[in-house]
Amino acid sequence: MLLAFGNFTADPSVNLQLLIGGLALGAIYAVVALGFVLVYKSTDVLNLAHGEFLMLGAYFALTFLISENLNFFLGVFVLLLVMLVFGLLVHYGIMRRMVGQGFFAIVLITLGIATIIRALLLIFYGPTERARLDLLPQGSFEVGGATVRHVDLIIFAVVAACVLLFFLFFKYTRLGLHMRAVADDIEAAAAMGIDPDKVYAMTWAAAMVMAGVGGLLFGHVTGAIDRSIEAIGLRAFPAAVVGGLTSLGGSIVGGLVVGVIEQFANGHLGTKWREPVAFSVMFVVLLVRPTGLWGRKDLERV
Amino acid sequence: MSGGGLNLRIQGLTVVYGGVTALDNVNISVPSGGFVSVLGANGAGKTTLVRSITSLLHLHKGRVRRGSIELGGKSILGKKSPDIVAAGVAQVPEGRKLFPNLTVKENLLCGAASRSDVSGIDESLEQNLELFSQLRPLLNQTAGLLSGGEQQMVAVGRALMSQPSLLICDELSLGLAPKIVHRLFELLTEINETRGTSILVIEQNASLALQHANDAYVLELGRVLMEGTAAELRGNPMVQELYLGGGGEAHTSYAAIERPSRSRPLEHGQRPPVAES
Repeated sequence: MLLAFGNFTADPSVNLQLLIGGLALGAIYAVVALGFVLVYKSTDVLNLAHGEFLMLGAYFALTFLISENLNFFLGVFVLLLVMLVFGLLVHYGIMRRMVGQGFFAIVLITLGIATIIRALLLIFYGPTERARLDLLPQGSFEVGGATVRHVDLIIFAVVAACVLLFFLFFKYTRLGLHMRAVADDIEAAAAMGIDPDKVYAMTWAAAMVMAGVGGLLFGHVTGAIDRSIEAIGLRAFPAAVVGGLTSLGGSIVGGLVVGVIEQFANGHLGTKWREPVAFSVMFVVLLVRPTGLWGRKDLERV
Repeated sequence: MSGGGLNLRIQGLTVVYGGVTALDNVNISVPSGGFVSVLGANGAGKTTLVRSITSLLHLHKGRVRRGSIELGGKSILGKKSPDIVAAGVAQVPEGRKLFPNLTVKENLLCGAASRSDVSGIDESLEQNLELFSQLRPLLNQTAGLLSGGEQQMVAVGRALMSQPSLLICDELSLGLAPKIVHRLFELLTEINETRGTSILVIEQNASLALQHANDAYVLELGRVLMEGTAAELRGNPMVQELYLGGGGEAHTSYAAIERPSRSRPLEHGQRPPVAES
């Protein structure tokens, strides 16, 4: 009966291969989930346009790194700078006016932003799909019978570095502190002289920059770059939920866990089981622990 | 700081939430270096007064319809809250409103959001820890896990981090043991006397507030019902009856909270005092 699902194997090298692929995929989910959780935690907005943000990053990578053929590091810098400006535009142009409005009105606004981004990409880039990015080293090496691609290792390292930077930023900078204060209690933050408007603007900018990094990385592992890659936003959703929507650290672990589970489902059960298994994990976690594995209710003593 | 002039001057302040008037033509002044109390029961408009001064009304869909608010002679009405903090107004909000997931130290540092002088901020932090010495070992604790009294100290310390010329405390005594409340009021007096910080205390606990303040106002249903020196109000029979639990002796009690001031005279078959004016 089980055989009907696919070919289970206890071969350690196959499982190692799946683990490596899963971690690389999970690292990308983690970056996406991190941006998603950042916005949710800091501004209380469930941003359904985050997949589109990442897609925007991937297309801009095409423009600056392939079409304009900039030096790699200069190109990445320009890419992230442009993403930052777009993040500020999202806040000052749209989200700022929605502060204090109903939760669902704001969620619908983010859906609107997603639609606008898809439309703009269609207008400026056309409907044809583009080849995936190939700027990172393409080689591979063998470990214990499993093939490790350089690109996967680099993705993992970049994500780890981003996460580390993120945590240092939140823990040790004034702006990071103010962002956490606003996330805790916006009125108290305003009463202390913290300007929530600026904090929100920086949050959207940071989320957009994270999406730029995610787009650049995902652009290297996706089959092709077209307007379907926004689906990664939805795919990273289980990662964010499993980790707990309010936990930045949880979103990282959630991303890795979901990535690995997906790869194992893919390898042992077949491609069609990837998403059902990933979302089943999300359901189970939500049923058992509605706040996610690391999400917590705010500490409060009354 | 205490040059004899006024620190805060509120004139003809009228505030509405939608169609409901919360403050009606209120005049309140705090002299430079003064200690002023505003008394009143629930719904008297005390918190609205704080929100008006600190420009947080819009978060509660309220707005100033008439009147003026000046700090040190300059209008602060209509400024954004960060600018008001920078101008010298700090507050200890009702219910403390600490950042529960941040540490004590981080909470204190948030109070210095309006400042950019790094060494000055460190100095203020150290001053705070001298004033509230029991917070020193708790600096890296998550604020949400502290006791109520410790949290209130963090809230006062956080407000002081902006080096305010005016410190506003909204219901400092709420939910705390009388002993701790006494200690907090002593500390406020110390801050007032040693640093010259003007203090505006919004309180239900009238006996304590009148004991420490120089001047006081009684707010009722959005209007200033009475004003005078704290000694005058302590000696006023109506204040004794309504806010000091009838005895005239200033002892800490929650009687003023438990017996709504408006219903009390009616129980005795009297007319409400407001109606006579």
